[in-house]
Amino acid sequence: MFFKNFKYTFKALLRNRGLVFWTIAFPLIMALFFKMAFSGIEEKETFDAINVAVVSNEYFENDGILKDVFRTLSDPENEDQVFNTSYVEEGEAKELLQDGKIDGYVVFSENAPKVFVTKNGVNQTIFKFVVEEIVQSSDTADIIQAKVEKMFKEQNSGGFWNTLGMIFAMMQENRSNIKDISDANLSYMTIEFYTLVAMACLYGGILGAVSISWCLANMTNVGKRLSLTPVSKIKLVLSSALAGYVIQLFGIVLLLILTIGVLKVDFGNKIPQIVILSVAGSMAGLTMGIAVTTGIKASENAKTGILIGVTMLWCFFAGMMGVVMKYVIDKNIPIINKINPANMITDGFYALYYYDTLDRYMTNIVGLCIFSAIMLAIAIFSLRKQKYESL
Amino acid sequence: MENIVEVKNLTKEYKKKKAIDDLSFDVYKGEILGFLGPNGSGKSTTINCILALLNFSKGKIKIFGKEMKPNSYDLKKKIGVVFQDVAVFEELTVFENIDYFCGLYIDDKNTRKKYVEDAINLVGLQEFKKYYPKQLSGGLLRRLNIACGISHKPQLIFLDEPTVAVDPQSRNNILDGIKKLRAEGATIVYTTHYMEEVEILCDRVIILDKGKIIASGTNDELKDLANIKERITVETKDLDNNHLNEITQLPEVFEALYEDGILKISYKNEKNNLENVIDYLKSNQIKYRKIYSERPTLNDVFLELTGKELRD
Ligand SMILES: Nc1ncnc2c1ncn2[C@@H]1O[C@H](COP(=O)(O)OP(=O)(O)OP(=O)(O)O)[C@@H](O)[C@H]1O
Ligand SMILES: [Mg+2]
Repeated sequence: MFFKNFKYTFKALLRNRGLVFWTIAFPLIMALFFKMAFSGIEEKETFDAINVAVVSNEYFENDGILKDVFRTLSDPENEDQVFNTSYVEEGEAKELLQDGKIDGYVVFSENAPKVFVTKNGVNQTIFKFVVEEIVQSSDTADIIQAKVEKMFKEQNSGGFWNTLGMIFAMMQENRSNIKDISDANLSYMTIEFYTLVAMACLYGGILGAVSISWCLANMTNVGKRLSLTPVSKIKLVLSSALAGYVIQLFGIVLLLILTIGVLKVDFGNKIPQIVILSVAGSMAGLTMGIAVTTGIKASENAKTGILIGVTMLWCFFAGMMGVVMKYVIDKNIPIINKINPANMITDGFYALYYYDTLDRYMTNIVGLCIFSAIMLAIAIFSLRKQKYESL
Repeated sequence: MENIVEVKNLTKEYKKKKAIDDLSFDVYKGEILGFLGPNGSGKSTTINCILALLNFSKGKIKIFGKEMKPNSYDLKKKIGVVFQDVAVFEELTVFENIDYFCGLYIDDKNTRKKYVEDAINLVGLQEFKKYYPKQLSGGLLRRLNIACGISHKPQLIFLDEPTVAVDPQSRNNILDGIKKLRAEGATIVYTTHYMEEVEILCDRVIILDKGKIIASGTNDELKDLANIKERITVETKDLDNNHLNEITQLPEVFEALYEDGILKISYKNEKNNLENVIDYLKSNQIKYRKIYSERPTLNDVFLELTGKELRD
């Protein structure tokens, strides 16, 4: 009976074109779309040095490190030259800026350095960022250079706001110094793909949600019929949910094969852990789907709408439409991303990529398990009902 | 007589609205019990309560002598239900739907295969096995709905308005199928608001109105409740008011109405009434196209008991 229900639920789900499209085909199409949108940009590696000026006052001239760093960053021999630096008097710098010959200039002093710009473009942002980096961190010129390089790529692929977001993220990163960023060159595109997989995991919960609604008398007509068979409710619910989950996982595997295998998006090389994270993420999606269908009184379409909405919101907070959102959330309302399954999934991938140890990765796995358990508890509350007030 | 279903003092309220009010009745082994009532009289609610799908505030329900509960799997095995709303999977074919539901009752592969075939033959869907529900007409869909509910050869079958919105051919097919099921030994509870169906199908009828039983018994017993016992209809064009008055004076006549060339005479008793009318028409040289006599319908009974028509 368990298998009979599993088999036919599986069949019925797979034949539901709308469901299959949204849960399986849509993420695959998005993956292709992302790749197309980002690939041209990713290839452009050259970076035009930014014209800036440093006011050669006494403080600057006496600071060997400062001078050294600026010289390295501005070295025309250097392939990754960041700045085209003029060392001038303050008055001259002002003029250069007004004439548009430079994007900005900086005045160093005992206090915080003052950066002068006239616009707020990407070049200006990078300039400010670098000055801050030089002053605040002990990074060598090489590392700063790598960071700028990366920022440049991201700016090209995601627009100004993404750049800003990345800068924020990197600055945060910096404080808890991890690994040398220059050799783990996590690109903006990869982060987009993390959120895409997260979305697919959560989205896929719709499958389980629909299959569960098929065995509940208060939700569907077939549910009434199934409720009257001599098969226990727990058997029905488990076999139906399993059918949904298997299809969901199948979709995720396809997505991973497409992104990692075909599109060659770099997810790092810890494949088993990547799969485990996807399985846990999908479980979060499944249980969230079940909790929503059983916990909310609304039409089936409304429930699907709610599920999609909630998923998109989680993904939005996790940085799907620009990392700046993630930064803003992390900074101002950190609790949201602590309980955000999409963020746990992306952060899990990120941790796998960045860290050699699995601590942070495990934290996310455990987080997803806790999330799933809570969702399940909510669902069981109404799943346990055997008789209803009305149908 | 063995009671297959026993319902005692069943009362069910939705929010504040009382849908069923202190219902008590039994279903006897091997009978087709008709549940007749207008829309909203509580037929579906009664069935859903009996099946332990709905909570109810008062009452006791026993099926095969045991209390019916959501986990009475031994009872559920013996019960088949055809719901008012079609309950099939859109994504599965006719065959798959029946095989699915049958498979949740019958484990043995060969038995199941035979049962599924039997069900398909019973409702006459042989040519549509590979069709999806969407490709079926309304009538065929209803037939599929029935097949899904009875394929496991249950001993007790509930059918909730299985013929709503079905053409006469499909309806006859469905009614024949139900008779066959009874002939095979099933006990059947059949709800409808078509009195014609009840008259040709049911051994016993319960008439329901506003959640209460207003009458029950065999067709004949119920018809005795109506204040008229016979109705004679004459199609004639040659009648005037005088004639009508005289007809009203004929023996046993309760009421005579003449409208659009049709004369309807109601009687309180059945005593040579047809003969009397023909004699009268002959002696007054009134020509008529047709004349026929009818027994009262359940609609008359309903009218008598509630003061309103069964169907408006
Ligand atoms: N889910 C519900 N919530 C509130 N009231 C309900 C609900 N279902 C039915 N009712 C009310 O209970 C009464 C009985 O309804 P029920 O569906 O049992 O009637 P029925 O005899 O099956 O009618 P029909 O011939 O239209 O199927 C009606 O007045 C109806 O409005
Ligand atoms: Mg009904």
